[in-house]
Amino acid sequence: MSAPNDAKRTLHIDPYEKNWMRISIILVIVFAAAVTVAGFALGFQVPSPEERVDPNNLTGPWENPGLRELSPGVYELYVIGNATTWQFEPRDVEIPVDSTVTIYVTSRDIQHGFKLQDTNINMQILPGQVSKLTHVFEEAGEYPYICTEYCGVGHAAMFGNLTVVEK
Amino acid sequence: MLATYDVTKTDKRFIGAHILVAVIALSIGSLFGPLQAFQFSGVDLYPYLQPVFKSYYQGLTIHGVLNALVWTTFFITGFFTLTTILGFKRGLRYPKLNRVGFWTMVAGLVMAAIPILLDEATVLYTFYPPLQANWAFYTGLTLVVVGSWIEGYGFFFTYRAWRKENPDTRTPFIAFGGLVTMAMWQFATLGIAVEILTMLLPWSLGLIEGTDPQLARTYFWFTGHPLVYFWLLPAYVSWYGMLPKQAGGKLFSDSLARLAMWLFLLLSVPLGFHHQFVDPGIPAGWKYIHAVLTYSVFLPSMLTAFTVIASLERAARKRGGRGLFGWVRALPWSNGSVAAQLLAGILFMFGGIGGLTNASYNVNLVIHNTTWVPGHFHLTVASAATLSFMGISYWLVPWITGKPLWKPRLAVIQTWTWFIGMLIFSNAMHVLGLLGAPRRTPLGVAPYVSEEWSGHLLRVGLGGAILFVSAVMFVWIVARTTWGKERLGANEEIEVPIAESEQDPQLTPLWLDRWVPWIVGTVLLILVAYGPQLIDQIANIDLGSGQAPSIRPW
Amino acid sequence: MADEQETEAEAEEFHPRGTVAILVMFVLAIIILWGSVYVILLSRGVTV
Repeated sequence: MSAPNDAKRTLHIDPYEKNWMRISIILVIVFAAAVTVAGFALGFQVPSPEERVDPNNLTGPWENPGLRELSPGVYELYVIGNATTWQFEPRDVEIPVDSTVTIYVTSRDIQHGFKLQDTNINMQILPGQVSKLTHVFEEAGEYPYICTEYCGVGHAAMFGNLTVVEK
Repeated sequence: MLATYDVTKTDKRFIGAHILVAVIALSIGSLFGPLQAFQFSGVDLYPYLQPVFKSYYQGLTIHGVLNALVWTTFFITGFFTLTTILGFKRGLRYPKLNRVGFWTMVAGLVMAAIPILLDEATVLYTFYPPLQANWAFYTGLTLVVVGSWIEGYGFFFTYRAWRKENPDTRTPFIAFGGLVTMAMWQFATLGIAVEILTMLLPWSLGLIEGTDPQLARTYFWFTGHPLVYFWLLPAYVSWYGMLPKQAGGKLFSDSLARLAMWLFLLLSVPLGFHHQFVDPGIPAGWKYIHAVLTYSVFLPSMLTAFTVIASLERAARKRGGRGLFGWVRALPWSNGSVAAQLLAGILFMFGGIGGLTNASYNVNLVIHNTTWVPGHFHLTVASAATLSFMGISYWLVPWITGKPLWKPRLAVIQTWTWFIGMLIFSNAMHVLGLLGAPRRTPLGVAPYVSEEWSGHLLRVGLGGAILFVSAVMFVWIVARTTWGKERLGANEEIEVPIAESEQDPQLTPLWLDRWVPWIVGTVLLILVAYGPQLIDQIANIDLGSGQAPSIRPW
Repeated sequence: MADEQETEAEAEEFHPRGTVAILVMFVLAIIILWGSVYVILLSRGVTV
């Protein structure tokens, strides 16, 4: 028993359900706006492609990973993840307060994670790729950076320490 | 037109075979959950498992593979075999084809299990290269996926046969739900199929020298996101198509239930980058586009929340429920199958909020790779899906076996135990994540654990213990039911709960029962959302990673 | 018979107000919980 004009049957929606869907759509639009403003206007951004490297032959700044001062209070920090030693290279970094540090991370071997505690620096580290984000250290203190991706038996001990000292 | 179909013993045994493998997988996989949770609390039981099980990470691999991939896939294909047969009121069109599918999945399971148990595939369920597992692991997983495709084809052929006899009838909802899910799954699994066949298998066999980890991740998460809808949609099929009947009511809107399912077909795949927000090799612009698309796939779940709760409200008020909230008490909470699905829905509400957070582009920076993530997915796959599947089992196993459910009151206790354990476990994991604790890490031995974390680590252990007790209860109830001596009498036979809808499905518009437009839309969206980046990544492929010995760091 | 008529009358007017009440609470939870993580993001500093 088929009804005539099947194709023209309209969708019957309870008015409460219709309003619920309107609210849901408004909700995601508001969240999208908040996220867009934070990301594209205020500078809370996610990593973008930076550079391809050869993990078997890391040259240039990678040959001597660590801190480089570009100008007073402006630094670059190169970090390499290592799954043979389960260490970050370097394991310890010290910078003065109010420094802006751009952090570049890659891997010698397999995937790692790099999470700098109490900052938004949280990146997936891949061999062959360079991960980059920046942070302004307005407060002195200890900022551990930990590996957050399974990288073998030594994974749980893989961390370093970034110390921010008063000037 | 067939009015009824007498389900055969063969049908039931075939469905039962799926559920049996699923429950066995869950039993073994669940053994490792508490080991991980206790480890967080400082109680390391892994030394006692030597030399059989070598490490926390091997246990974690077993836990993830068996619970997230095997328990789910076998339960889902078994459940959809039932919804196909009972929805269309006919037998499978090519039963032998479905059997080939099932045995292919079993062969794949065995093939993958061997290297896992031998500690040759301690790569976790995501198997990210350049970690390299034994080739049999990748082949086994491929066979499980291919087997599930074949069972899906069996359902499609059955649909085609039914459609020939019923050209103008709306596809029965529970059968329709299975078809949409398997169609979505077919598209979804192309990602890992390509990853394994073109990258991981040749590499693990020594045919190519290295791998490109970024491209591998992109292929993986092409599948990894819709995977979660593969887990969720079967639960939705029960919540829409069965639960209202179990509550004594009807489905509030047949049309909107179908619309939600179609939207999942359309929107499940083209947004996998939200698992890759902090990957180095994908531009921020593309990550943003996928974030917006992910917000859109949140909408059919919001639609589901309304339709399902409204169906339950109507049923409860018919049972005498009164008041703005009080009607909830009038639902049949003493029915373990119903209670499980209601509690699964409550847990899922929190899972959905967490998911929305994870999908929010830069907000992801706060929680990526922290314990928040497993906290989240235990509310989804391990609650919305798993607890619903447990609830379904409470009528499904009696239906298959012809035996009464063993201790129905214990079944109710089991579901509440899961609920309470999950609240404690998952909340602690979310909080720990916000405090900075990493996932995939035996925190009991991590030197950077801060004092702030210790209380929450203990709660993880407590929640894990309670969940384990609940899992044991579930498996015990299923076993006692299956091997019980009593049989159901002729007038006690289980009737599979199939809900009617408030409005005649024939009044649902035709565009909600036509495949071509939705499939075309699905393909187009995938091409737009993934095409450019895949082309870019493939064109710039660099196989320089993945040299020994670091690929086996366990 | 009277029951059926009652049910039909109810059926014509049934609007799921209890559902709306529950979902309003759900939306509040979404806003509060999502919002709190968004605030954490903002408190942890810009990344570019």
